[in-house]
Amino acid sequence: MDLENCRGIMVYCEIDVCGIIDNSLELIGHANTLKEKMEHYPEVTAVIIGSDVGSLITVAARHGADRVIMMDNPRYRVYRPDLYSDALAAAAEKYRPEILLVGASLSGEEIGPTVAMKLHTGMAAHCVELKIRDDGQFVQVVPAFGGKVLGDILCPGFRPQMASMKAGMVSKRIFEGKVAEIESFDPDVRGFGDRLQVIETIPETRKRVSLSNAELVVTGGFGIGTQEGWDKLEHMAELLHGVSTCTRPALDAGWTDKEETMVGTSGVAIKPKVYLGFGVSGAAHHTCGIKGAGLIISVNRDANAPIFEVSDFKVVSDWEAIVNAITARLEATSAVCPDPDRA
Amino acid sequence: MFEFFNENQVMLASVAKELVEKEIATHAAEWDEKDHCPTELFKVFGQQGMLGVFVPEQYGGAGLGITERSIILEEVARHSAGFAIALMTHDLATAAILNHGTEEMKKTWLPKLCAAEVIGGLSVTEATGGSDLSNQATTIEKNSAGYLLNGRKVFITNSHIANLNIWTGTSGVNEKGRKVLSAILIPPETPGLSAGRKENKLGLRGSITGEVIAKDVQCGPDSIVGKEGKGSAVALHTIGNYGRSGMAAIALGILRASVEEAVKFGNERIIYGNPLSKIPEMQAIIADNQVEYEAATAMLYNATAIYDNGKDAIPKLAAAKYFATEAAVRASRRTMDLMGGYGVINEYPVGRFLRDALANIPSGGTSQIMRVIVAGSLLR
Amino acid sequence: MALTIAVCIKPVPDSEYYNKITIDPVTKRLNRDGIPTVINSMDKNAIEAALRLREKHGGRVLAFSMAPDTAIENLKRVLAMGVDEAYLCSDRVLGGADTWATSYTLYKAIEKTGPVDLVIMGNQTEDGGTAQVPSQLGEWMGVPHLANVIALDYEDGGMVVKTKADRGTIRYSLKLPAVLAVTRDCNEPRIPSVMDILKVGKKPMRILRAQDLDLNPDFIGIKGSPTQAGEIYSPDMSRKSEALVGDPDEIALRILDELRKAGISIG
Repeated sequence: MDLENCRGIMVYCEIDVCGIIDNSLELIGHANTLKEKMEHYPEVTAVIIGSDVGSLITVAARHGADRVIMMDNPRYRVYRPDLYSDALAAAAEKYRPEILLVGASLSGEEIGPTVAMKLHTGMAAHCVELKIRDDGQFVQVVPAFGGKVLGDILCPGFRPQMASMKAGMVSKRIFEGKVAEIESFDPDVRGFGDRLQVIETIPETRKRVSLSNAELVVTGGFGIGTQEGWDKLEHMAELLHGVSTCTRPALDAGWTDKEETMVGTSGVAIKPKVYLGFGVSGAAHHTCGIKGAGLIISVNRDANAPIFEVSDFKVVSDWEAIVNAITARLEATSAVCPDPDRA
Repeated sequence: MFEFFNENQVMLASVAKELVEKEIATHAAEWDEKDHCPTELFKVFGQQGMLGVFVPEQYGGAGLGITERSIILEEVARHSAGFAIALMTHDLATAAILNHGTEEMKKTWLPKLCAAEVIGGLSVTEATGGSDLSNQATTIEKNSAGYLLNGRKVFITNSHIANLNIWTGTSGVNEKGRKVLSAILIPPETPGLSAGRKENKLGLRGSITGEVIAKDVQCGPDSIVGKEGKGSAVALHTIGNYGRSGMAAIALGILRASVEEAVKFGNERIIYGNPLSKIPEMQAIIADNQVEYEAATAMLYNATAIYDNGKDAIPKLAAAKYFATEAAVRASRRTMDLMGGYGVINEYPVGRFLRDALANIPSGGTSQIMRVIVAGSLLR
Repeated sequence: MALTIAVCIKPVPDSEYYNKITIDPVTKRLNRDGIPTVINSMDKNAIEAALRLREKHGGRVLAFSMAPDTAIENLKRVLAMGVDEAYLCSDRVLGGADTWATSYTLYKAIEKTGPVDLVIMGNQTEDGGTAQVPSQLGEWMGVPHLANVIALDYEDGGMVVKTKADRGTIRYSLKLPAVLAVTRDCNEPRIPSVMDILKVGKKPMRILRAQDLDLNPDFIGIKGSPTQAGEIYSPDMSRKSEALVGDPDEIALRILDELRKAGISIG
């Protein structure tokens, strides 16, 4: 696309059974933050692809969309990456945004680069920051080597400038009473036709842990060492009414199967009031995802663990001694009589 | 890494490292603590072609040499010297059959040994001593059915897990009236062979060492390995080349572990606001460990290359075994010093390195015997 | 039907050594000296998936990589795993490519060596981690492509594939040719055996230069990359790192106290 005729920021809205996912709503909010830095104050356009999804227009508007492109058609009832990519690419071709943002969810990772190819443009993946430089240039900050290094990515010669971002990196914004302009768009997209077919979609039955509203997060790392240790840590987290999360090595060790609670560049970014880390060494992969925490307290046996550098408070100790002590304190205060008849 | 390894040897080292990190590294401490030998892993090493790597392809091996075998054992011993000696000993039975056995024995047993369908053991040492072969109480008597074996062997690695055993025993006297030794192959399921006491060792735990007892073990007429009366040659050749190169390779693994643990701890431990490794005295420890590791590496892989080229390497392997096993004791002890109090805590592996290094010394002949061999090669 | 399968391999700095990666304060360039290069971990899952298909259905597995000449060592390791042939696209003009230009070059290299039925890749790399090249290669080839593949098999002339989705799993059927990006859940990659190592030297391995590939010069290297790399820096996330000391119970009390101060209500 030529540079001159592209205007506005487009955000792809990913949908699940509950509606537009937080990741997308966050990006709509952030698009407004970018827009406020841009001289020409471009429109923020949300693209909704799905079947029977009219009710989501107000959600997109309330979270900051100036305009909503509705691609509402039964063919989108079941997610198919090729159809969704074709649809989003068609919307971008028609509405010519200068910036196109996609959540770095699993489906976003399929759709984003595919659309970038179709549009012959560049895309920066898993951005940790998206900003407008003083000279007006859109800068996408990406992590490399698991977050050990950050790099600026620019896309000066191609439009739209595409970027993806993990959930939790930026915050949702609420625009009460905002009304968005609505446009229906129903291009004839066919994807790969019958060369790709969905046999079945198997929804996850387990209830997923939500981290977006967690005030206290208790993270266990590889240092926990055993399943028994892990259970002990989770028990303490429950007593604290906190949410337990994990690092990649802890997940790989199989102590927890809650993949959605993996914090870091390949998982989620979190912004709790307090982060409590036990046996977490603090690899950049992980610490990238906790920088939004209000307070970081970490416990590790290794005095030189990198997690300590990014902590407000550090405890050089075996994690278990501290968890035992906290658990004992909490159980002592919350002790209830097991048999009320005795009283 | 030894400079003169060829491309295949370099890749073998990295592949063996990957296998060891996957199958062994995280369990080594537990095997040591529980003195557990992971016998199921023999098959894994067999499938990877890492048992009997020196056996020609026609008998199910990879057709390489003791250099490659040492590379594998070094990698195993980097994390578990105990399991390394179990694998090492299995290969001794293989080597004895390959170099001294009949064609029938080779065809029957080498493929099974290479695939770990049977586990091999070599029983030489008796209560009277390991290196004194002239006075073995075990007897191999010729009878109508073949040979009858009676005796008791001690400090035998794989004693309780080996089912293909090679024994030495006195089979008669020579023209000078001296006892002569024969080596004999005892196939699996042969009645009369049993394991006795299991030793509780200082180090190299995770390998099983103990007594083996033969009570009227009847072997067939074709079960002599090598020539009748030439059992000493079988034992000395097998132990002198395969045993000592193996023990030296295990020592290399311990040496490297001592270097790597010292570097890791030195960089991680903060003392007076700086990593421990900033202190010159600590650097001296790391340097000494590395120097001894490099020296031992050069000695061993030079000697194994000599053997693999078809030349006599017995004195050079004795020298390498002597130096490497003693150096492993010094190096693990130094790393322990570097770690201060942590060095004696069993959560850290360095105590195990030292115990393994110490237990490594008598196997295949003590350091004193090694010096006798080295000097003997010069003074004869 | 026997399958011709291409796998794409990226040599990456060993993630065990990420803490040794530094940025030169003067040149602002990445310093990766002394950091070994290994095969990207999920690429091994891709190789394993391809080898299993070959073992079951027959065919050939070809490895492709775009990297400097030193990647020959990594490709030898790939051959040791059981891959039949390896091709390395190595040329200075290919350097600095983003995912768009990389996928184009890989597409041309695969095209050059003949038609393939299937391309299998690692879902993402450990160093950049963009997860973009597989989809983009599929687009270049004009064939169906899926990411996040956790299981795959060849049935009745097509692939049946299971992918991990954001809220569950999806089963697809695809006609060949296709591009699949697999995750580590897909399988456990094999470790080469000694016999496999000894076969490496006998297998074809070729370096492809830019001139061998019939490339559009506007589509390769830095010039062909829509995105440009700007400054690089180490994120500064350091906090005060105040030590809490005492016996475990004292520390526990301090932690609970800090939680309350931060606005967490505790029972």
